Amino acid sequence: MKKYWRAYLISLQETLQRRSSLVMDRLGGIAVMLSLYYFWKTLLLGRTSFLGYSYSQMLTYVLGMNILRSFALTGRGWELVGEISSGKISSYLVRPLSYHGYALALDLSQKTVHLFAAFFEIGALLIFFHPPFYWPKSILSLFLFAGALLTASLLFFFLEFIVSSLAFWTSESGGPLFFFELFIQFAAGAFFPLDVLPRFLQKVLSLSPFPYLVFLPINIYLGRVGEGRAFQDLLISFVWTAVFGATSVYVWRKGLLSYSAEGG
Amino acid sequence: MKKYLLVWWKMSSMSLMAQVSHPLGSIGFLLGKIVRVVFFFAFIIAIFRHVKSLAGYSLEETALFFLTFNIVDISAQILFRGIYNARRAVTEGDFDFYLIQPCSALFRLSLTTFDFLDALTLLPVLWMTLDILDRLSVSLFSLRAFLYLLLTLNAVAIASSFHIFVAGLAVRTQELENTIWIYRDIMFMGRFPSEVYGPMFQLFLTFVIPIAVMTTFPVRAFLGLLSWKWMGYSFSLSTILMGASFWFWKSSVRQYTSSSS
Repeated sequence: MKKYWRAYLISLQETLQRRSSLVMDRLGGIAVMLSLYYFWKTLLLGRTSFLGYSYSQMLTYVLGMNILRSFALTGRGWELVGEISSGKISSYLVRPLSYHGYALALDLSQKTVHLFAAFFEIGALLIFFHPPFYWPKSILSLFLFAGALLTASLLFFFLEFIVSSLAFWTSESGGPLFFFELFIQFAAGAFFPLDVLPRFLQKVLSLSPFPYLVFLPINIYLGRVGEGRAFQDLLISFVWTAVFGATSVYVWRKGLLSYSAEGG
Repeated sequence: MKKYLLVWWKMSSMSLMAQVSHPLGSIGFLLGKIVRVVFFFAFIIAIFRHVKSLAGYSLEETALFFLTFNIVDISAQILFRGIYNARRAVTEGDFDFYLIQPCSALFRLSLTTFDFLDALTLLPVLWMTLDILDRLSVSLFSLRAFLYLLLTLNAVAIASSFHIFVAGLAVRTQELENTIWIYRDIMFMGRFPSEVYGPMFQLFLTFVIPIAVMTTFPVRAFLGLLSWKWMGYSFSLSTILMGASFWFWKSSVRQYTSSSS
């Protein structure tokens, strides 16, 4: 466990070292957040609610998206593709560590930095724009939200790991990963709440793991999901995470069997 | 001119062959680009099932803002795909070869990597735009439609000037990574009419980072909501930005001392 903790700390230092890359990454998130914040603010002008969301709930959804995007929807998919394609993973295979554990440690370090940055950005927005912010009615909602946030992060890690592992079989895995990253943002509710979509699309998506990445955690925070139902959803989210966790290990093992690398 | 067309044709053919020879990757990228357009479009339509207007604009008008943003954004990507690799071209030494070739280094760096996947994405966007323009009951052969076309081309010129600035920065600093992504990220705000952003941000998007000029002005002109004064501003801005970007590019190349071995 200690070696993964070390990997986490080193990666944390590395991420903080590349400050210009971090700032550029965050600028993109800020532009999306501001754009959607103003969009919903304008749409809700003169209204008290929209699709069951109060004014403060909808604007908090937008701010919440920034946190979920930073903590759940960031990953190292492109790095993994690069490491497999270039043969760099060979050096990890001979080390006494699990690649899954190592990748998770690096992933968490990146997410830690982005999470703090997201909180800072939201704080700045609250100070400068004074949006009506929704605070959860019970402390239990906060705990449930934290649980859903952690599960969403793990779920995305495994999903992205599976898609990136395509690099074991093809040198063209960048295309599927690009599609996956864009599709998941819409399907998870990272641009708009899924309630906006037609009912049949909502039903289709509710059968998939995607809403558990952004839409559900924010709805738990906003108290739009009762505590009993939140526990139930959290359990389903755990199950999805376990299923995709096991699948990613299986895909990784299969991939290693077909992996070959030459040179030093 | 003939020489440039020939070089462009040769390089674009090679780009096409590279994309065709990687079908899985190309299909993934193409689907991703289409998903981005279709989902946002579906979002706007879904929103208008519950509201009648957004910042005073109807569904068709809001859709036209979104589609115009896509036309400008995708056109710039089709033309200037090479800029995305500008820093790599400089640090790995490819740029040194561009400089000794008998054609413009800027042309070689930016315009010769034609992206067919973006071109394929643009086709349905253009088709949807024509459909929306038709629904807005303004003749496609009217002055308003002509001004829309002119201001959209003007927006592509402004986007081009930003890309030339970024190419100049890559040559000048060699360290400025992902500058183009800042432009792309800020361009996200162009998906909606600038009225959405409130007076302060509107000023910012009109005078500081002129996204409103690029995506909102053409539609306002089509709807008859843009005065001649603003049109004049729009064309003057693109002329100044183009001139400045070319000046910056030339100055960057003059200071270039080769960064690779």
